[in-house]
Amino acid sequence: MWELCRVAYERRELIWLLALKELKVRYNRSALGFLWALLNPLLMALVLTLVFSSLLRVNIERYPIFLLSTLFPWTFFSQSLNYATQSIVTNGSLLKKVYVPPVVFPLAAVLANLVNFLLTLVPLALLLVVFDFPFHGTWLFLPVPILMLVLFTTGVGLAFATANVFLRDVGQVLQIILSVWFYFSPIIYDLGAIHPRFQWFFELNPMHPILRSFRLAIYGEVTRGLLPSGNLILLGAAGALLALLAGHALFRRYQDSFALYV
Amino acid sequence: MPSADNAKVQFREVVQRFRHVRGRPHMLREVFVRMSARGEGVRTIDALKGISFDVRAGETLGLIGRNGSGKSTILRLIARIYRPTAGTVTVHGGVSPLIELGAGFHPELTASENVVLSGALMGVAPRVMRERMEAVFAFAELAEYAEVPLKQFSSGMQARLAFAIATEIDPDILLLDEVLAVGDEAFQRKCVERIQRFRRERRTLVFVTHDLRLVPDVCDRVLVLDDGRVVAEGAPAAMVERYLESLKPAAPAAAS
Repeated sequence: MWELCRVAYERRELIWLLALKELKVRYNRSALGFLWALLNPLLMALVLTLVFSSLLRVNIERYPIFLLSTLFPWTFFSQSLNYATQSIVTNGSLLKKVYVPPVVFPLAAVLANLVNFLLTLVPLALLLVVFDFPFHGTWLFLPVPILMLVLFTTGVGLAFATANVFLRDVGQVLQIILSVWFYFSPIIYDLGAIHPRFQWFFELNPMHPILRSFRLAIYGEVTRGLLPSGNLILLGAAGALLALLAGHALFRRYQDSFALYV
Repeated sequence: MPSADNAKVQFREVVQRFRHVRGRPHMLREVFVRMSARGEGVRTIDALKGISFDVRAGETLGLIGRNGSGKSTILRLIARIYRPTAGTVTVHGGVSPLIELGAGFHPELTASENVVLSGALMGVAPRVMRERMEAVFAFAELAEYAEVPLKQFSSGMQARLAFAIATEIDPDILLLDEVLAVGDEAFQRKCVERIQRFRRERRTLVFVTHDLRLVPDVCDRVLVLDDGRVVAEGAPAAMVERYLESLKPAAPAAAS
């Protein structure tokens, strides 16, 4: 853990450059460039709003905001995970030619997507205005769930990146895991919609306290934002740190042989 | 064995073993075989079979040998890309972590962006790299192409840029793998000149090449490798001769 922080700090400039490269390559070739980072979530919001509030008739007040408050963080999670999982294999030829701590690649993948995610907060704020939804002061609390989300994502990403070096099927399996995980997470619904008898099971999901914190701060009770309880934060932080510790331990255990298998 | 006092790099009984699980793993069991340190049914190849040598401070050591004799594996061990399976590799001082020129180049980025990224990959701060940018492009003779995406460069231009970066970052120990195989005659001469300058500055170089004509000009000492072993060690000209001799068929056909 200490080592992870040290490498991340020592190589911060490299990690930043790699993340920047990722973003440049992603947007460089399109005419609209970086605008897509803003446009994409707006269009997604439009489609989902149409489907869920006009066609499906969900009985939740201000459903678009309800949904987007957790959907954007989830998108960050799933995209980072996809990029991080492939990062070692994608940079394989590089790892055979230059000595760099391999951990910089998954870290850069998460960072690139974090920049993307922070940018989506702009269209989200825009949507609040469009939908005439109140801006809660609890937005100021968002750095806490964002930090938990980043740590958790990094941990899971490190584990999947390691596994993917040895078994390339992991990238495919990840898609299935992510879609199942999506439906088991409180994104399109709230935990209150689950039968009380099964709620405990949904609460085991380490993404639950993190997503819930986002929703409380942004959506809350519509008229006012809410702060997550101390318990919820503790749970979210514990899950995030545990994932990071385990993911990094696994990564460290095998990183010396990455150059032999990529 | 030469005295170890001023050795920059020491190899002692180094074995590098590669394990191959043939094809792709069909069963989960094989995955665990891959992940675990041992396992049956795994073919192993020793790329290095217990070799020992020193690279002394300030010398240029050439490695020659056939394909697969272990030359690049040695460079990768010095660069810490591989860890030895057995034996010890000791390296004093900063190594250019560069094994092949142009590692880490991205075709979509401009040449100058690539210079900064390459530098960062080798542990040089972007600030320092930007300071040296002019020198890099001057040496590569590519100043007017600095803001052109790399994908529009010819392979010769890329090689020039890569060599310029590698030699501009001032490592204690410079590792060069087949770098002179690219670029035209004029640029090759420029590279050799720069390598000569490094030698005059008493930098340490480890140099792999198949261009045997260059070896006597550039190297102080040469190791001949064959099948993961050092078969000879000595003065460049004599070693090249010996290597060429070994390439001849064992039983020469009757002279015509």
